[in-house]
Amino acid sequence: MWRPSSVDRPTGIFIGLVVICLVLITLDLRAQGEGLGSTLRDGAQALFSPIQEAFVIVGRPVADLLESASDLFSLRDENRRLREEIASLEAEIQATESVRIRVRELEALLGVDAPEEIDTIAARVLAIGVSEFDHLRVIDKGSNEGVGLDMPVIEEGGLVGRVVAVTGNVARVMLITDPTMVIAVRVERTGETGVLRGRGSGPMGFEMFDTDAAVIAGDVLVSADGRFPAGIKVAVVRESARSDVGRLLTTADPAAGITRIDFVKILLWTRDDAVVEGFEGGDRLPTAVPLDPAGPAEGETEVAPTTSTTTSTTLPGSTTLPGIEP
Amino acid sequence: MKIRPTAVTVAILILAVAVQTTLFARFRPFDAAPALVMLVVLAFARHLPSEYALLMGFGAGLFQDLLAETPLGLWALVLTAVAFVVVRFRDRLEDEVGYLGPFVLGITIGGLTLFAVLGTIFGEKTLADAGIIRKIALPAVYNVLLAPLVLRAVPMALGMSRYRDSAFRL
Repeated sequence: MWRPSSVDRPTGIFIGLVVICLVLITLDLRAQGEGLGSTLRDGAQALFSPIQEAFVIVGRPVADLLESASDLFSLRDENRRLREEIASLEAEIQATESVRIRVRELEALLGVDAPEEIDTIAARVLAIGVSEFDHLRVIDKGSNEGVGLDMPVIEEGGLVGRVVAVTGNVARVMLITDPTMVIAVRVERTGETGVLRGRGSGPMGFEMFDTDAAVIAGDVLVSADGRFPAGIKVAVVRESARSDVGRLLTTADPAAGITRIDFVKILLWTRDDAVVEGFEGGDRLPTAVPLDPAGPAEGETEVAPTTSTTTSTTLPGSTTLPGIEP
Repeated sequence: MKIRPTAVTVAILILAVAVQTTLFARFRPFDAAPALVMLVVLAFARHLPSEYALLMGFGAGLFQDLLAETPLGLWALVLTAVAFVVVRFRDRLEDEVGYLGPFVLGITIGGLTLFAVLGTIFGEKTLADAGIIRKIALPAVYNVLLAPLVLRAVPMALGMSRYRDSAFRL
């Protein structure tokens, strides 16, 4: 028969600590990202970020050396690929320019106000998550520079993620590849909408419902969600697919180079939580897009930049989008 | 417990977390990095008194939790379990040092698998990760490669004079 005295001291302490862990997990999950857990996280990140910054500076020569060694064999291929990409982008810029002029002419003809620009802040990636399962980046800009919760983060390729925690000088960005991330997107070529899901590593899952459409490899997926400004390039379809009984399922690669990001831009753009009756837990309106060029949609907040370091940007992948002027 | 070992333990754990989140952000062969904090917990748990080893695992895990977006206590549970297993097996490892490499491999795989399972139970969808096998296997292999360095450095930092000849032997 089991008796308490038959449990040795380390086992007793272990059981006690496991119970404490389970209580902590329960309390933190019930707090839903707020409360004491959130405060402690912010405090720990604020205290630890100077150490991370110091390590970034001290460790840079070592990291550069190791990185150079591992990149040595791929440099030539990458150089050729980049040259091809530059040529392709130059052609794209010329095509975009003519479209932009035509949009302006049409806007003038229709008496539509020129669209608002979205201000951005450039930031450097300080650190990554503590494990392979953390799809996080710590950036060196925080609320002191105007960064706020839920702001979209981009790099030259496309959408990187969104801000999930902010302290004075740093912020944490959850990557779009996180398995808990679900993004409403639109196929740029056809205008059909669907859902993009993070799968940790590798390609993301792309799903379309109630459709008889098809997607082809190379189709660009842009954001079409209230959580992000419409038109940000998010991913590129990897495998062509056709709908089967109204449902289409395929994979797509993130447009941004998620695994190797050094610098990002935070879009100073937020959207108030728009709660629909009947939706639980403060679900956001699943509406698409502040496409109204006359101004921000209802529930959308314009954020005033608080520092002089902000710049305006054209969202990656968006060429003819109202709401964002190149 | 004396102040010096405590200070050394805390300092090395902070160092491990800093290296894990900064240096290994850029140096990631095959897009993976070692589970350095887990390895350091393993290394300390071999030498600290049982109670302190468990508390050290718990503290290190809690610190990881504070820097992650996982529920507070998840890493604490995993690293406490790692410390507990090490405490249970360390005497046997002293006798059979040849088992130390496989032990590091096994404990890293076990710890990361436990994290993935618990993470999924608590809504983190970790098992849905497309690269789950790679994310468990590669850090375990890297930990085995780093083990001779870390497992030697920790007792030296603690001021212990039990260094012996084998790469894994202390």
